[in-house]
Amino acid sequence: MKLLVCIKQVPDLESRFKPNSEGVWYNETDLAFRMNEYDEYAVEQAVQLREKMGDGCELTVLSIGPDRVVEAIKKSLAMGCDNAVHVQDSAASSKDPWQIASIISAYAKDKGFDVIFTGMQSQDRGSAQVGVTVAEQLGIACTTTVVGFVYDNGTITARRELEGGIKAAVKLNTPALVTCQLGLNIPRYPTLPNIMKAKKKEIVAIPVADLLNEAPLAATTSFHPPAKKGGGIVLEGDVGELVDKVIAILKDKTAVLR
Amino acid sequence: MEVAREIYWNIGHGVVIPMCILAFTAMGVICWGFWKRLPIWRQGKPLNRIDRYDERVKRMLSDVFSQSKIFRVTDGGIFHSVFFWSFLVLFAGTMLVMFQADFFTPVLQVNLLSGEFYKGFSLVLDIAGILAIVMLIGLFIRRFIIKPDGLEIVRDDYLVLQLLFAILITGFLIEGARMAATEMQQNPALALFSPGGLLAGQLFTTMTADTLLLSHKVLWWLHFALVLGFFCAIPYTKLRHILTTSANAFFAPFEPKGAIATINMEDDTVEQFGAAAITDLTWKDIFDADACTSCKRCQDRCPAATTGKPLSPMKIIKQIGELAEGNPAGNLIETVTQDALWSCTTCRACQDVCPANIEHVNKILEMRRNLTLMEGAFPGDEVKTAVNNIEVNGNPFGLTFAARGDWAEGLDLKIMGQDSDVDILYFVGCYASFDRRNQSVARNFIIICNAAGIKVGILGKEEKCCGEPVRKLGNEYLYQMTAAENIELIKAYDVKKIVTACPHCFNTLARDYKDLGLEVPVEHYTTYINTLLQSDRLRLTPEAFSYTYHDSCYLGRYMDIIEQPRAVLNQAGGSIREMDKNGYDSFCCSAGGGRIIAEEKLGSKISEVRIKMATDTGAPLLVSNCPFCLTMFEDGIKTGGAEGQLQVRDLAEIVAERIAA
Repeated sequence: MKLLVCIKQVPDLESRFKPNSEGVWYNETDLAFRMNEYDEYAVEQAVQLREKMGDGCELTVLSIGPDRVVEAIKKSLAMGCDNAVHVQDSAASSKDPWQIASIISAYAKDKGFDVIFTGMQSQDRGSAQVGVTVAEQLGIACTTTVVGFVYDNGTITARRELEGGIKAAVKLNTPALVTCQLGLNIPRYPTLPNIMKAKKKEIVAIPVADLLNEAPLAATTSFHPPAKKGGGIVLEGDVGELVDKVIAILKDKTAVLR
Repeated sequence: MEVAREIYWNIGHGVVIPMCILAFTAMGVICWGFWKRLPIWRQGKPLNRIDRYDERVKRMLSDVFSQSKIFRVTDGGIFHSVFFWSFLVLFAGTMLVMFQADFFTPVLQVNLLSGEFYKGFSLVLDIAGILAIVMLIGLFIRRFIIKPDGLEIVRDDYLVLQLLFAILITGFLIEGARMAATEMQQNPALALFSPGGLLAGQLFTTMTADTLLLSHKVLWWLHFALVLGFFCAIPYTKLRHILTTSANAFFAPFEPKGAIATINMEDDTVEQFGAAAITDLTWKDIFDADACTSCKRCQDRCPAATTGKPLSPMKIIKQIGELAEGNPAGNLIETVTQDALWSCTTCRACQDVCPANIEHVNKILEMRRNLTLMEGAFPGDEVKTAVNNIEVNGNPFGLTFAARGDWAEGLDLKIMGQDSDVDILYFVGCYASFDRRNQSVARNFIIICNAAGIKVGILGKEEKCCGEPVRKLGNEYLYQMTAAENIELIKAYDVKKIVTACPHCFNTLARDYKDLGLEVPVEHYTTYINTLLQSDRLRLTPEAFSYTYHDSCYLGRYMDIIEQPRAVLNQAGGSIREMDKNGYDSFCCSAGGGRIIAEEKLGSKISEVRIKMATDTGAPLLVSNCPFCLTMFEDGIKTGGAEGQLQVRDLAEIVAERIAA
């Protein structure tokens, strides 16, 4: 059995984001990077399946990006992935979801993966398109926002999270792709022996040009913080006056008293 | 007529040979008993604790004979110490008698035990015997009638007390019988020098001479048999502490307090980290269990144990001993339980007060290392998040590392990355960098340095968590990763001196980083400010205030810095009202050992207990020297209902307000 998990390294969301000089993405200065949260659920689920299937099973982790993404790959290896592929692309952030998906499917198309795991979406771009597009390009079954995953003899039974907390159950036959959502599992903290072992595992580097033959379909034209609207107002003083002020504001700025 | 007494009176010198044989047999039993325990200790990993032999011997002799560690705690300690010294005098006296009988008299033909010396000798030994009996009665009342909380009563306690009591009483009875037959009749003046014997002798005055002689003989043999029993019981009962606890004073570490073995992360042949079984511990860790006398002083001091958490340092030591002896393959961590291990604040109160030199804290850390490094375990999800935050942003809050130096905006200091020509590097730490309350401490420290004309630099956004909380939680890997980055940075700036306002950073940089190659002198701001005051570089305008002072564990117990902060505060105009638990006896705030990033879910809140101790002094102000303590106390004042009654402030805040214009 062959498994693939696709991960992305993203900036920590607490970071201070500033647009880059082209104004189409963020500047990487002063950003701390980590593995995309949803991808951690994907890795954990993939590792759990890998452990369940035992020796005949092989789990590959793939990430696209500049050299820094090796850190995220190493973490996946420490969590339990067997092999690693680093698609080297210093301009990955300028690629659209179609191109990213095309790179992955170009890599995966002749490898015969039975199950492919991805995060539901990335925390930075948040398109939620890459996983489903890969499945489409490979012509395999796909389900998204998975919060429950059981594999049994070629069939995946997945629980999906829908709007408003409603859950749905789906069954799909492998080969298949699932995109993973918060609530699926609790990602493990790598143990030291596994971190040590991970250091010795080979990370296969593939230049992005070897895998990418597609032009972007949706270009980002601008990246900027939301325009500042009026900030909050802190009212101070006598309660009686405060009430009058509040009523005035409500009348003036809202429709609730009309 | 020169007075003396006839040794072996009524027993005869013929007894020497059988007596020697029996005594040597008893010694053999002791050796055999300990020999049989050797394999138990040897299950542990090797550790060199016999280097610096002379110093070790000196330390052991001073520890044992001074009894200083025993009577530091008066409850039980006074009885034990006085009993020990009395028994020692009796033992030495008996030895002297033996030498007199078998060496001085036959070989040298002199009698030391005669004349005035004999009178003194007799009086001292009698008084020692009486004192020993009184102390035994005291110990008996304490253990069986008062029954202090947590003091267990086991078979050995009955046995040992009875045995010692019987030895002392029969000793006086023999003396009494002999005196009734001899000096009470022939030389009553001399009998006054044996008050105990004189008293016991009254029992024999009505006896016929034959009965008296027979009684004396029987009592003599009984006494001798009891003494042999005492020796033979040593390896098999609590009495073993006579040798094992003494030996532990020899085996105690010479490393600085708080030193933790730094794991070699380069060695990829190692696949087992921390302790999950007896065999993962050192022989000394197992030996410690034999040195433990169950005095429960550790448990009485433990902030976790005294606030209803499932941790007793004593119990852990006992559990290690029980596993080593009865179930060496057993799971150490399951036996001790994760809850107990995670409850430790590494405050060192247990180890500091232990009269047997037992090393509690590092055992707990070794087990935590196993949990963390081998199992990826955490005390709670909040800790996992904080650890991840340290990995990503270098601070447990998860705030962007780029904002680490923001607190310093507008202050007169240098960012090392821009200008590293400074007198001191102020290693700010996570709390003073990001926590609003503690940022005030950092700012005030800078104001103080400015007033003293000290050029201060900070690493700003390049600084990372020192790694202390994660190290104390067992995550040696993450600790070494962050430490290595800090060390590389500090080395690159050619720093002359580092000052920290956090005792945790202080301990880590000053001691732990040495193992990783940092040799720069590191000082805590309390001593640094004290030196500035002493050398008149910093001048204060004192302003009277009443305060109580909290000795943080990592400044007081770990680094022996107790007087200097008080000196600074007093120079600022403070008059102190000490809490009962102060100095080396201070009570943890709850945040050590990585607990700062963990929620306190078990038992009652340690910080509230400490706040109560502070309010009990009547002082309106509690002064701390540690960002963790400050955080816990701000919280404890609110949740413990002490708002309006007590305020907590940092030493730097007090000093900065009083800088002379």
